[in-house]
Amino acid sequence: MASSLEWTLSTSWWTQRAGVSAVAPPSERMTDADADAAALAELTETALVDACLAGRAGAFDLIVERHRRRIYQLCYRFVGNHEDASDLSQDVFLRVFRGLRSFRGRSSLATWLYRIGVNVCLNRISASTTRDKATASVDDQPLTDDRCESASDLVLRKERAAHVRAAIARLPRKQRATLILRTYHEMTHQEIADVLGTSVGAVKANFFHALGNLKKLLGEM
Amino acid sequence: MHLHDDELIDLAESVRSEVSAPHLQSCAACRGKLADLRATLASVEAVDVPEPSPLFWDHFSRRLHDAVAAEAPGRTGRAWLPWLLPAAAAASLLLFVVAPGVWRSMGRPAAPIALAPTAPVPPAREMLGELTDPSLTLVADLSDGAGWEAAHEAGLSPRGSAEHAVTHLSEPELRELQRLLQAELAHASD
Repeated sequence: MASSLEWTLSTSWWTQRAGVSAVAPPSERMTDADADAAALAELTETALVDACLAGRAGAFDLIVERHRRRIYQLCYRFVGNHEDASDLSQDVFLRVFRGLRSFRGRSSLATWLYRIGVNVCLNRISASTTRDKATASVDDQPLTDDRCESASDLVLRKERAAHVRAAIARLPRKQRATLILRTYHEMTHQEIADVLGTSVGAVKANFFHALGNLKKLLGEM
Repeated sequence: MHLHDDELIDLAESVRSEVSAPHLQSCAACRGKLADLRATLASVEAVDVPEPSPLFWDHFSRRLHDAVAAEAPGRTGRAWLPWLLPAAAAASLLLFVVAPGVWRSMGRPAAPIALAPTAPVPPAREMLGELTDPSLTLVADLSDGAGWEAAHEAGLSPRGSAEHAVTHLSEPELRELQRLLQAELAHASD
């Protein structure tokens, strides 16, 4: 009742302001929810966080929508399977929601999200000692569109990918995180340093050693 | 002087060009390291993340939306936080005032229970031992030596309240309360 009254008031106010004599047909009419969503979409990320904290409906959903794919991919790189990546991504966003008040805007929202994501993933891989699906067999990997590849090429590519994933899973934590953020998320050395709370020099050193160790691990397999 | 790790990384990632590192021309070891780095990097880059079904994202957002809604301000612990301290203080004060009488009456089951203490009541702080919550410590300090009359004057047990009812029981009611408390304590110690 209240919302319908608000809608009526705001519509008549808008009609009056715009000098519109006739009400637009329903298909062209913008509801308050649509208008609010459009207004949210225009906000900067810091303003979007403020909107979340102010309790504006849909603000957090928009943050999720903007970043969910990258966070999922980050999690997938750490755990190597869809099921855990999905759970971890949800965990990341729940932590983001709980910690929104602590976001000061000193780094970008994406960097802050990555920081939480990396911590969640590193905690998970530390905790899971027996259940490491990153080394899952080729058959366990989700299907992608492989129609333009021959069957043998496909098998070879998947085997190579499984080997590389398994080798990455054996890297020390910081080297693993650095490699993932640099190679797959194309973050700058400075951004990685911000996420991991370290220096650019340490990031480059970690990346160098990660590649060196990976070469050895791939050679052993 | 061989190339440093970070220089090799910059070269491998093409952040800087090989022209800027003339040492490479004359050093086979550094060229070999650089080639290894590039080869490993290429094999890592070739591994992609399978794209989940488009339906997954809808499901993911909906699931997350529900999880977040379950933690919305009205339903989180924060909502009752402002009430926690006054409630804890009132409960603690009541405990300090009422507990000595009830406790002593339980120690002497056969004797009639008197509301007014017949022996000095030990200070509340001594009865409870070490308190970790500073707010409870403050309440304990303030209520040390305070009696039922003081609490009554402070308006903590107006007529009709639960506290008033408990501290103004008739003798049969007190006996029944005593029996129930003893049964509960015996149950708890099992």
